[in-house]
Amino acid sequence: MANKGWDEFEIGAMLRSFNGPVSDVALTHQEDRDYSENNSFTASVADWRIEKPVFNKDYCIDCQFCWIYCPDISIISRDKKMVGVDMDHCKGCGICVEVCPTNPKSLLMYSEQTDEEEALAAWPSKETGEK
Amino acid sequence: MLEIRWHSRAGQGAVTGAKGLADVVSTTGKEVQAFAFYGSAKRGAAMTAYNRVDDKPIMNHEKFMSPDYVFVIDPALVYTTDVTINDKESTVYIITTHMSTDELVASQPKLAGKKVFTVDCIKIAQETIGRAIPNTPMLGAFMKISKMYDIEFFKENMKRILGKLPQKIIDANMLAIQRAYDEVK
Amino acid sequence: MAFDKMELRDIEVWDGNFAAAQALRQCQIDVVAAYPITPSTPIVEGYAKFLADGYVEGEFVMVESEHAAMSGCIGAAAAGGRVATATSSQGLALMSETLYQASGMRLPIVLNLVNRALAAPLNVNGDHSDMYMVRDSGWIQFDAYNPQEAYDLNFIAFKVAEDHDVRLPAIVNQDGFMTSHTAQGVKTLTDDAAYNFVGEFKPMNDMLDLDHPVTHGVQTEEDWHFEHKARQHRDLMVTVMPKIQAAFDEFEKLSGRKYNIVEEYDMDDADVAVVCMGTSVETAREVATEMRAQGIKAGVVGIRVLRPFPFMEIAEALKDVKAIAALDRSSPNGAAGMLFNEIAGALFNTDTKALLSGYVYGLGGRDLTKAHLRDLYKELQANADAGKVTTQLQQFIGVRGPKLAFL
Repeated sequence: MANKGWDEFEIGAMLRSFNGPVSDVALTHQEDRDYSENNSFTASVADWRIEKPVFNKDYCIDCQFCWIYCPDISIISRDKKMVGVDMDHCKGCGICVEVCPTNPKSLLMYSEQTDEEEALAAWPSKETGEK
Repeated sequence: MLEIRWHSRAGQGAVTGAKGLADVVSTTGKEVQAFAFYGSAKRGAAMTAYNRVDDKPIMNHEKFMSPDYVFVIDPALVYTTDVTINDKESTVYIITTHMSTDELVASQPKLAGKKVFTVDCIKIAQETIGRAIPNTPMLGAFMKISKMYDIEFFKENMKRILGKLPQKIIDANMLAIQRAYDEVK
Repeated sequence: MAFDKMELRDIEVWDGNFAAAQALRQCQIDVVAAYPITPSTPIVEGYAKFLADGYVEGEFVMVESEHAAMSGCIGAAAAGGRVATATSSQGLALMSETLYQASGMRLPIVLNLVNRALAAPLNVNGDHSDMYMVRDSGWIQFDAYNPQEAYDLNFIAFKVAEDHDVRLPAIVNQDGFMTSHTAQGVKTLTDDAAYNFVGEFKPMNDMLDLDHPVTHGVQTEEDWHFEHKARQHRDLMVTVMPKIQAAFDEFEKLSGRKYNIVEEYDMDDADVAVVCMGTSVETAREVATEMRAQGIKAGVVGIRVLRPFPFMEIAEALKDVKAIAALDRSSPNGAAGMLFNEIAGALFNTDTKALLSGYVYGLGGRDLTKAHLRDLYKELQANADAGKVTTQLQQFIGVRGPKLAFL
């Protein structure tokens, strides 16, 4: 957000989430909402990541654990079906991978520069009980 | 400017009495003030309340007063506090006591030579209202001594001020005011 | 409006507390969150009773402390309601953190502050320590000298505070006991006239406007904080005074009662002037009139609006005076006294030759008598005659023991 002067903002240390009025916001997907520049949705934290989560649809059971646990609301889920990761707002914390219950996991952390296709091609196989 | 000082115990109704008097006087177009000295006082502690009455707006907010009238609504305060403090030659005393005026002055020499009237507001309150709340009878006595208002006019106004109380209590207060008016000497 | 109206007599005999409670009823406050404290208790008690008896449509929120009381007021005001409360002394001290929240969030809450001394030693009586304590908290501060003004200034406070160009909370001060518990004649407004003067509450950025979601109480660090505070100060310095004047003018049209930002009494040709606040202003006026009969051209300047401070208006009122006394009813605890400093600041770059001396008086409800004020005017006249301050710059009035004077 631009560093405005004292006379260029609304009074009251008050911020608006949206440009103009909104209706039915609860049933509007984030990408369809008219967020204002004051809303953190318009700011990307993609460059904070050192590692990124890669999602493998083949093993996902749509349990929604990642969606619940993600601290940055960066798991995209539609109609209770896991769609993918919002890479603008994911900071790469790895919690989604930690809580993923499938075997092998449906989310794994890779270095930021790893090619997604290559990661999916080399996805680990099911772990046996042997440790 | 007419100035009155009430000597009372917290809980005997001096503040209510002072405010009631102010209310009645105000209806006749005069300016009024009613206040009291408060501490963290408990029921029974000696306290004073005050009235000022004038034809012009009362701007004086000092607590100091050289009163025209001193009302003592508890009989023991004549001995335990100085009810004559800051008085002047013309100050008139109306004191609650079971004694006659002569007996009272004899028992408290400070009152010698002063204009003292007595009435037993405690007894009157007990016999009419049923509790030792001597504030309204004192005002009845004051009406007699000061001739400020006709007693019927005063009682009518007091009825309005006591309006929220049960009718039985209002009637008892009217009786108390009238008795004190009749009995003050 | 789904509540009963109350028939008032043209003149009611009310103390300052009840007058303020009646004003809150007539303004139809939506929410009062309060933690009652002497001597302000009857104000919120009065509102609660009016509410219970069906004379107000609102909400009384009982809380666990004054900090919570003001926090509740802030929440209700941010939600979009007309909000008020009352407190005194220690209660205000505990509220002080949240006072800054309220003003910074630009929420038009009205606080009836019944002025009382601050412990230790504990004391329930009136002085201006609490008023002084929060003078830089960003609230507008009005000062009432009697019950009538405690009533009137509540309407004016809501009118100014809720103006969308202002949106700042306002304190209405009245002297503990000397006003709050002193019954005097109060000329009333009808319920309709009073409510119409204040007007329907117009919300601004309210949280209950679900079509326009807002975040209140944001964090700003070094990059934004200064701009917000600068804006708030600017609005207090520039916007508020004309709005107060307009409200005073409109109130005079309604009631015939005239209020001024600085209340001048016999100042046109005054040689000596006392500047003070609260009930002392009226007592000083009475004494000033007496002094004129004795040949001393005495005047009184009462501070009606303490914040924003009437810097220019004070300088104008005092410019032709020869000797001025600034009376502070709060211990400066190691300084010259708030009014002394403010008046000195207002006069410093002017052409005035006025002599200024400061007095500390009335702490913990100590009586300021007419005799004190007579002596004070005589001392000011002596200063004027000598062409210099003949005493030390700071003196104590009415304290027992050897005379106290400093500077």
